Amino acid sequence: MKSPACHGFDAMRLSRRQLITAGGMGALGLSLPKLFAGSVYPGGRPEARAKSVIFLFQWGGPSHVDMFDLKLDAPSEYRTPHKAIRTSNPDLLTNEHLPRVAKIMDRFTVIRSVHHGMKNHNSAGYYALSGHAPPTDDQRLRDSIDLRPAYGSVVDYFAPNPPGGLPTFVSYPHVVADGSRTPGQAASFLGKKHDPLFVPRDPNDPNFKLPELSLPDNLSLDRLHARRGLQELIDRQSRLLDHSAEARGLDDYYKSAIAMLNSERVRDAFDLASEPRKIRDAYGRTTYGQGCLLARRLVEHGVKVVTCYFSSGIGGQSITEGGWDTHGFNDTRMFPIVEQYHYPITETTLPTLIYDLENRGLLDETLVVWMGEFGRTPKINKNASRDHWPNCYSVLLAGGGVKRGYIHGASDETGSNPIEKPVRLEDLSATIYYLLGIDPTSEYHDSQGRPLMISSGEPILDVVA
Amino acid sequence: MRYLSPAPLVALLLGASVALHSLAAQEAAPAAAASPGISYRNDILPVITRAGCNLGACHGAQTGKGELTLSLRGEDPVKDHAALVEKFVNLGAPEKSYLLRKAIEDVNHEGGKRFEKDSESYELLHRWIIEGARRDLPDEPTLVRLEVTPEEKVLFEPETSVQLAVTAHYSDGTTRDVRRWSIYEPTALNVEVSPDGLVESHRPGETTVNVRYLGLQVPARLAFVPDRPGFTWTDPPAHNFIDEALHAKWKTLRILPSDPCDDATYVRRVHLDLIGLIPTEEEARAFLEDKDPDKRAKLVDALLQRPEFADFWALKWADLLRVEEKVLDTRGVAAFHGWIRKSIAENKPLDRFAREVVSSLGSTYEVAASNYYRALRAPDQRAEAIAQIFLGVRLNCAKCHNHPSERWTMDDYYQFSAVFDGIDYEIKENKRFDSNDKNNFVGEQVVKFIDKRELKDPRTKKEPVPRLLGESEPLASDPKRLEKLGTWMTSPEHPLFARVQVNRIWFHLMGRGLVDPVDDFRATNPPVNPALLDALTADFVASGFDLRHAIRTICASRAYQLGSVPNDTNRDDEINFTRALPRRLSAEQLLDSAHLALGGLPSFEGHEQPMRAAQLPGVQAVYRPKKPTSGDRFVRLFGKPPRLTNSDTERTTDTSLAQVFELTSGSTLNGLLTEKGNLIDRLLEAKPSDEAIVERLYRTILTRAPSGEELSATTAYLASTGKRREALEDLAWSLLNAKEFLLRR
Repeated sequence: MKSPACHGFDAMRLSRRQLITAGGMGALGLSLPKLFAGSVYPGGRPEARAKSVIFLFQWGGPSHVDMFDLKLDAPSEYRTPHKAIRTSNPDLLTNEHLPRVAKIMDRFTVIRSVHHGMKNHNSAGYYALSGHAPPTDDQRLRDSIDLRPAYGSVVDYFAPNPPGGLPTFVSYPHVVADGSRTPGQAASFLGKKHDPLFVPRDPNDPNFKLPELSLPDNLSLDRLHARRGLQELIDRQSRLLDHSAEARGLDDYYKSAIAMLNSERVRDAFDLASEPRKIRDAYGRTTYGQGCLLARRLVEHGVKVVTCYFSSGIGGQSITEGGWDTHGFNDTRMFPIVEQYHYPITETTLPTLIYDLENRGLLDETLVVWMGEFGRTPKINKNASRDHWPNCYSVLLAGGGVKRGYIHGASDETGSNPIEKPVRLEDLSATIYYLLGIDPTSEYHDSQGRPLMISSGEPILDVVA
Repeated sequence: MRYLSPAPLVALLLGASVALHSLAAQEAAPAAAASPGISYRNDILPVITRAGCNLGACHGAQTGKGELTLSLRGEDPVKDHAALVEKFVNLGAPEKSYLLRKAIEDVNHEGGKRFEKDSESYELLHRWIIEGARRDLPDEPTLVRLEVTPEEKVLFEPETSVQLAVTAHYSDGTTRDVRRWSIYEPTALNVEVSPDGLVESHRPGETTVNVRYLGLQVPARLAFVPDRPGFTWTDPPAHNFIDEALHAKWKTLRILPSDPCDDATYVRRVHLDLIGLIPTEEEARAFLEDKDPDKRAKLVDALLQRPEFADFWALKWADLLRVEEKVLDTRGVAAFHGWIRKSIAENKPLDRFAREVVSSLGSTYEVAASNYYRALRAPDQRAEAIAQIFLGVRLNCAKCHNHPSERWTMDDYYQFSAVFDGIDYEIKENKRFDSNDKNNFVGEQVVKFIDKRELKDPRTKKEPVPRLLGESEPLASDPKRLEKLGTWMTSPEHPLFARVQVNRIWFHLMGRGLVDPVDDFRATNPPVNPALLDALTADFVASGFDLRHAIRTICASRAYQLGSVPNDTNRDDEINFTRALPRRLSAEQLLDSAHLALGGLPSFEGHEQPMRAAQLPGVQAVYRPKKPTSGDRFVRLFGKPPRLTNSDTERTTDTSLAQVFELTSGSTLNGLLTEKGNLIDRLLEAKPSDEAIVERLYRTILTRAPSGEELSATTAYLASTGKRREALEDLAWSLLNAKEFLLRR
């Protein structure tokens, strides 16, 4: 395994802020407002267009050329076997299995020119979840404190929700893994403080609840309060809270935890049972469907980043579970599988989420990101399926200040390479931060104390409404 | 401006090894006037660097900006000169040169205006182009040394600022004042530095200002001491040389230490630090009742002989030496961990331990220490790991670029890596459980040295010549070179090995290294008390690299035994060890101590028998479990590292909401509290009074008796509920969640 050290190479890409200090422009008595502000944005931040992000991670890699970048004129070994249908975006086709999805495409920006070089799930997955290139393209890229934090952890670092209420970052219902845990799902070097509230529970389970927010059966809320009272009494004796920042920090977490255990609002945010049956059915009675419903409840209650993973594994060989990794291995075939499993789930859930957000007036302030770690080979393989294709694929954005019914960038005649406005995952990350009102050139420090920019890309201003 | 500081103070901060420099920097002769012409290398590069052109956000980015790519912070003047001259310099019409027009934003420039047309920078660049834009001048002197004055200074209020003088020394003996062309980077935020080197403090404290000019960098260590009217140094007694060195500095900084801690705090502290467990009620009682004035030292001696000491300190080394199952397999992990633990138990000198780690070859099942190279599969990985763990040098930046401000170059990186080229593996079998992970090995391997050459320097595409880090001569290519490496590295004369090791021991006991982080030794990260690190190092070498001796010495110091309650003078000090800084117990200390107090042992997947977390040989608990036990989840949540990096920083002791949820509504503590036959049940057997059982719970969990207030409140709570056991569980929970329990103080 190659050392991950050099992923930090862009540590050397100093921000403009540092440039000011280090370059010492002040000496020369110049007036460079753009530079001196320390940020290209007035007040140090871009205007926030989105309050929240719902990140729908399509693990395994959905096929761009069968869903949102169909190439009907391509040779038959490339062309999608699905029948194409029109969508509410006149320039966009999708396939016959997605008629409801077709109806909402006028709400979306589709970026058709996303590209990178990572062919393995874990490396590509980390890239997609963090916006940073992994040190190696490795099937078993290991999670390590050297690697970058998840988007939600960065948001929690720069713009946390106040303690005791809803957390900034919630993720569920799976830990994404391909043999080993995929990096980019937690806070890494930002510290455990910025980890997501991770909910490893099935929202489609009738007894779905948060273990953290549920006391063990033998423990009542009254007893918890009594415990806290005694704990406070004992802490007063040692006076540690008076003179230890460490003790105070720890105590703040107790305050938050107990406030959350007490909070009607927090419990309510996770209380799927309070949703009308009609709404629950409309999202689809699947883990992912109910996960998307939970996402809506969470952003409604103020969570800033919700990451809902489509599946825990890369899947692709089953019509009852798993992700989008449809190679046709073990004598399976891609198209019957996605037609029976992945498309129907997407068809039920995605439009419902968009309509629901829209009906509640939440879509404008909620950025919905629908993406996988890569697309699939434009050329159909010998198993009548498609393999990994990071060279060019499509990412969907809706709400949160992005254009409606817009297509950004373009791929070539087979969907193999971007030919117009190529977009790197770094640019996508800069765009997400930008829309949330976080300067993408903001810095954090890694475990070695090196200053690093949270994104090394440029916001794609073309997609901003 | 006054240079007040008398020499003894300077020597105190600096340590004996650094000489004082004269203050005779020449006053501001314009750079160009000192030489007969203007060269890119000596005159223009500083201008461009100072203007920020070659920073990573601008043309120093890997792919440059616009049409110009410069090397990062000017590390490659030859290439940069060529790039500028090729397109951006117009010798026929100098003022039309893009270099000038972009810099003054006469044409559109994304980087904005870098300087004015009437500035000295413009003037220099303009004249340089008129003179022919030469890279070097004939017989041009080269920059050999940078001098910063003062290099060390203690300033006392009302003095709150100091002007740094920066002098460049050249190969022909000439000097230049380069203060205005240098870059100043303070490491602490209590100061601001003006572009020409005036350091002004906003609040008292210490800082290092790293002064950079071209490829050279010199740190200036400054201490700003507050005015403390009526401050009197109380001259506390020194227990040993550690206190002497610390006291000298505290006195200068006008800081008084906190009072020493009481016996109850001490017995708990030293148990946690040495064996990773709180003392039992009986152990604490025996210590508290002991009338021997030497009882603190006696306790340390006794703990150093406990098997739990070997477990707890083996854990620290196992974290660093990548003792993990995916590469070593469980048998290799057991062998390597067993070897580390045995080395600690039999007090193997740390130099010998290190030599064996870096030179052991053979079957990973039979020669336990050969597992170290089994885990490090490539020459550069081995070089990075060994440099970082044993020599405190972080080499990894030098893999891709010469670090703009550091000593180690790409030559150092590849030549040191070449020392390890030739280690090879005979894979006797591999029944990997993950067929897609090429770094997953299950089965015996033989680590061999065959002196093949595979590593290439990416710049030359050639095999680098093996050379030890910091040495000038190459290392002969011979099969014994790993032994030579071990001997060289652990020699008492090696400037880093002993320092790094003793600093790490200090860190484990005191919570912070004298150099901190402990694996980041460099000129620009100097020790907080150089004299102390020198003395500790000398003592450690003289003891024969004896871990127990170092622990005994540190624990004997008054500084180790200080309490955590601050006074008015040390409230803001967090780096000089003037008081104990409370810190969260590690995953293992916490889980094992909670079990010790309440009874039972935790279980971990992959281990049939329950055991203390500190005894876990590997890290399956962190990444393998299919069905993690509550112990597995607990140690992961509280920061047990997966052992994938070579850094002490991989283990985290930060706190999180999830940890507090685990303690509050999670299964671990709840299970311990409700378990039949636990401490509560045992205490209840004797049918004690409420007062008696409260006292026993306090003494067992917190190593102290309840205060009057606590006794009345807790007994009132017990009386208020009809469910006595539940109420006792509640009290025990509160004791286990008291900051006194969760923090080592």
